[in-house]
Amino acid sequence: MRYLSQRLLQFSIVFFIVTFGVMVLMRLGLNAPGDPARTMLGGTVSQEMIDQISKQYHLNSNLIVQYWYWLKGIVWSQDFGYSVQQNISVATYMRPKILVTFFLGIYALTWGLIIAVPIAVYQAYKRDSNFDKAGNFFSFFFISVPALVFSPFIIYVFVMKLGWFPRIGEKIYPWDNFGEHFRNFFLPVVVLSLPTAAVFVRLLRADMIATLQSDFITLARAKGVSPQRTLWSHALRNSLFSVLTSVGVQIGSLVGGALVVEQYFNMKGMGFLLISTILSKDLFVVQSLSAILVASVVFANLGIDLLYTVIDPRIRHARALV
Amino acid sequence: MSTEDNSAFLEVVNIKTHFETPRGVVRAVDDVSFSLTRGRSLGIVGESGSGKTILVRSIMGLLPKRGTLREGAVMYRGENLINKTPAEMRGTWGREMAMIFQDPMTSLNPLMKVGKQIAEPLMSHLGMEKATAWATAEKLLHDVHIAEAQRRLSQYPHELSGGMRQRVMIAIALACGPSILFADEPTTALDVTVQAQILELINEQRRQRNMSLLLVTHDLGVVAGNTDEIAVMYGGKLVEKAPTKTLFAEMKMPYTHALLESIPKLNHAAHTRLATISGRPPDLVHPPKGCRFAPRCHFARDRCHSEEPPLTAGKSPDHVYACFYPVGSAEYSERKVEISRS
Repeated sequence: MRYLSQRLLQFSIVFFIVTFGVMVLMRLGLNAPGDPARTMLGGTVSQEMIDQISKQYHLNSNLIVQYWYWLKGIVWSQDFGYSVQQNISVATYMRPKILVTFFLGIYALTWGLIIAVPIAVYQAYKRDSNFDKAGNFFSFFFISVPALVFSPFIIYVFVMKLGWFPRIGEKIYPWDNFGEHFRNFFLPVVVLSLPTAAVFVRLLRADMIATLQSDFITLARAKGVSPQRTLWSHALRNSLFSVLTSVGVQIGSLVGGALVVEQYFNMKGMGFLLISTILSKDLFVVQSLSAILVASVVFANLGIDLLYTVIDPRIRHARALV
Repeated sequence: MSTEDNSAFLEVVNIKTHFETPRGVVRAVDDVSFSLTRGRSLGIVGESGSGKTILVRSIMGLLPKRGTLREGAVMYRGENLINKTPAEMRGTWGREMAMIFQDPMTSLNPLMKVGKQIAEPLMSHLGMEKATAWATAEKLLHDVHIAEAQRRLSQYPHELSGGMRQRVMIAIALACGPSILFADEPTTALDVTVQAQILELINEQRRQRNMSLLLVTHDLGVVAGNTDEIAVMYGGKLVEKAPTKTLFAEMKMPYTHALLESIPKLNHAAHTRLATISGRPPDLVHPPKGCRFAPRCHFARDRCHSEEPPLTAGKSPDHVYACFYPVGSAEYSERKVEISRS
């Protein structure tokens, strides 16, 4: 449990640094009283309006106090603040965008793994075979081709030429209409998951090759364990660590990397929202979005950390001791 | 020792194992022959790089296919194993031939419970149900003298000491009742106090189960009391082979002699300089032309550098050695006198 409290402390520190940093950065140059409110409201607005918003959200107090009220709002009443520009609560404004990115990310990671694991395992097993060479070529290919190039190509082929998939329509949730949801997400997920899979393939293949040379693999063979079992139950589990670690790293970059895909496929996700609110200086939205980003990345990595203990008894026992 | 089955049931004939490397072909094992009868034990002794581990893995067919050339014959119960595919060998591995590895720290799967690692071959070879396999595994742990076998089954390798891990490895090797046990430096990675126990355990189990044993080691002392016969390897070749007693009494090869000399003796005075074999093991990509030991041999003459000595029979039965000027020959004694003078 000391381990968990350590991780929570880490999380709090990172969370504070990022969200407070974002707050400070977003308000650079907005020093005079009323400046933040004026910026948030945009355009020409009356002084009373500015005063009222300033007062309501404590915008004229110092940053620590403002930060405190914002944090308190989130923790006590799940209130992320109010988007004055959109005239809705930040939570309502963010929710559909976050869901879009959430689905994109989950699907991309899941499919990345589903595609990568068998390919990498078989590549390592049949090292230097034609299959291995093809695997290496394609993984390099998909790592190298940016979404910027890949997305329009895919749109051109599958949307414009073949017409298999719709161009627009992110607002379909799986619980509303799964078929539509699938059709809407398929292409963007392809664009996101192939490079993700390519990274996993490279990492897992390298680890598998190293593991396959270990003594305990030779022992498994010398016992007469079947190659399939040797591969999947002895070697794979011992080779998962780099891939798992990179899943944690990818979660952060998928949210960022999804931006291009969101643009091309006209899906309004977190990346889209972040950029547009930074530009329009919708302070509360930017701040809350960063908070959610930080929290999801940190918690995802915490989850992955816990997965290590599931996979490796040595880590489990070492942690039980501290 | 069984008398009813006394034929050589493992016969290794002119086995060669070469590896293709960027530097050239490594002749790790070059033309080695020997045979092993049921229930008997053979020690293979040599320095690091003498090819002894490769020999064992080559006999079992456990080497990676890529870049490996194997020639000769491995006759096991009248069947040649050398050209069998890994798929064909699977029934032999673990069931007929089992192997104990050098380093128990790295040879057990760190992420798998000990019980499962022992039960695995039982389930795949003998078709046992999981429960039966685990019960058998517990019995095996008992056989290798591990206390609290039940509890150990559900532990992971890192929770066991080195000696205990080696016992687990022996239990794995014994699981399916193999008839040949290959032990590759089984005690090298262990504490000295544990070494003797492990050797004793291996021998005890060998006798009880009437297995043949091939014990590979760099330590002449390890094989001395533990095997019926000793084969000495140098540079991928077999250079001397004899029943244990004969070898120690009549060793012919200067290399064997040097190996023996390099073991510190209790009756040496304190601070006696340890006898070593100067030089390095031969480069097996470009091995010396004549006798492979010649460049390091104090007793080598011109002939040794140009001509390869064949295996010659010694006076005692079953004794062979490869040397032109063996220990005890006139030339050997002459050179010995010269050395002691200088």
